[in-house]
Amino acid sequence: MAEKEKKGHAAVYILTALCMILLCTAAAGAALIVPYEKFKTYLDIAFMDDMKIAPSNGLSGLVIKENTEIATEAPADQKLSDTGEIKRPVFGEQYAVLDCKSASIHVPVYWGSSTELLDRGACQSSSSSVIGEKGNAVIDAHVNTFFANLNQIKAGDEIVLYTTYGIFTYKVRECVTFENTDKRYVLPTDTEQLTLYTCQAQVLGTSTTRIGVLCDVVSKQFYTGEEAAQ
Amino acid sequence: MKKIRCYLPNVLLTFLLVFVLIACEATILTSRIALNPMTFQVLTDQQHLDTKGYASLQTYFKTRSNSTGIPADVFLDPDSYSELDLRSGILQNTNAALAYMNGQTNEYAPSLEFTKLEDAVRKFFEDYADKNGYKKDDVLEEKIHSTCTEAESAIRNAADPFKFGTLYSNGVLTRVRSAVSYLSMAMIGSIAAAIIILILLILCNLKQMEHLCYWIGLAGFIAGGLMATPCIYLTVTDYYSGFAIKDPQIFSAVIGYLKLLTSRCLTMAIITAIVGFIGLMGFILLRATQREPDTK
Repeated sequence: MAEKEKKGHAAVYILTALCMILLCTAAAGAALIVPYEKFKTYLDIAFMDDMKIAPSNGLSGLVIKENTEIATEAPADQKLSDTGEIKRPVFGEQYAVLDCKSASIHVPVYWGSSTELLDRGACQSSSSSVIGEKGNAVIDAHVNTFFANLNQIKAGDEIVLYTTYGIFTYKVRECVTFENTDKRYVLPTDTEQLTLYTCQAQVLGTSTTRIGVLCDVVSKQFYTGEEAAQ
Repeated sequence: MKKIRCYLPNVLLTFLLVFVLIACEATILTSRIALNPMTFQVLTDQQHLDTKGYASLQTYFKTRSNSTGIPADVFLDPDSYSELDLRSGILQNTNAALAYMNGQTNEYAPSLEFTKLEDAVRKFFEDYADKNGYKKDDVLEEKIHSTCTEAESAIRNAADPFKFGTLYSNGVLTRVRSAVSYLSMAMIGSIAAAIIILILLILCNLKQMEHLCYWIGLAGFIAGGLMATPCIYLTVTDYYSGFAIKDPQIFSAVIGYLKLLTSRCLTMAIITAIVGFIGLMGFILLRATQREPDTK
């Protein structure tokens, strides 16, 4: 009898403990539903990285692709055509070389713009048209490095862009000066043109003024044949 | 009948004690750890926030030199602004934010020192002007002023890895301040409530004191378990690494702080659960060594 009583008491203690755990968990869950619903959106935004990528110092996942194969003159046996296929570059890829003999400018051109890419060459805005495509191809670079001589370019000068898929020649139509808040020269256009710009050189310090050149296409020579396919 | 009369109040008091214990620990964690300046000092050192911030400033000024022509070491030199200065700036920012949240000041206004930096920039401009024969006129003064302003803005940003400035301008710090004003009261209130509940439990279990161990142990065990479960979930799933801002300094600061709080909370929860478990074991031992029970 005493043994039965003991077992009865033990069952009560265990059941009580289990019921208390369930009751407290249910009460805690009920109390937290409203605050959780209120903050869920903010938490989802704040901790949205499902891949849990660790931060890196500088490059932030940017893959820079140099391209030493861009020829700055068409090979003798290369077939050329007025029309052809444009090879759309990826962000961080060096896909062209810009040459302007009148201003001694010869620089690599990267697709996309970032701090790291501007250290390596001129950058083409990835929201602008690819070279050879209809629209406005917009390229910029630092005034203290790659576009130091941009202010020496005059109307009528020739600018050549050597790409992985062809050679594109432009003639400077107009030299412009504008404020950094004035976006009209970097907007898309209906016609094919090239826009180059940089900061206006100051004695020291930053400048809000930009200088640029607007160019019209003169000739397009796409690579065709087996070499182009490669 | 007597046992049922005592049983229900014990259940109710234990249920209340669970949440009062959680409230006690939450208020102690908030006041002693979350809002403690030492926590941020330890974090700054452990996460090397000054080193990471200084590295990002070096990248910033080096990049800017391409368009400004001003070398980065004009700004970031031991004589102009050193890593130690940045560390001091970070601590000033956090102390100013904590003082505001704790109600010690009426506004969040950290004062960072830039005298050496301004002197270095002025010297550079004047040396450049002397070397190149430029006139030292109002235009040069304006350039010096705007260069210093831009540099100070970048440094202020790097000296605020916890983004207290942004939180203040968005009103978040003010809301935290008004909540923190009730913290002391909440802590005292929860401790007082815990004491009252314990006294009531003692009164309910005067004739069978070993049951006191059971009820208090159960409350501690459940409170510890409820607090530990979300902490374990956050730790095991590495939830905080999903933080969207991947700037090394901000990521380290925010995630370091959250992980520190979580680990402290987990420690308190485990201690509470262990104390509860000891209480339950104490009850079992006392029951086992007890003589014949009283008659009903």
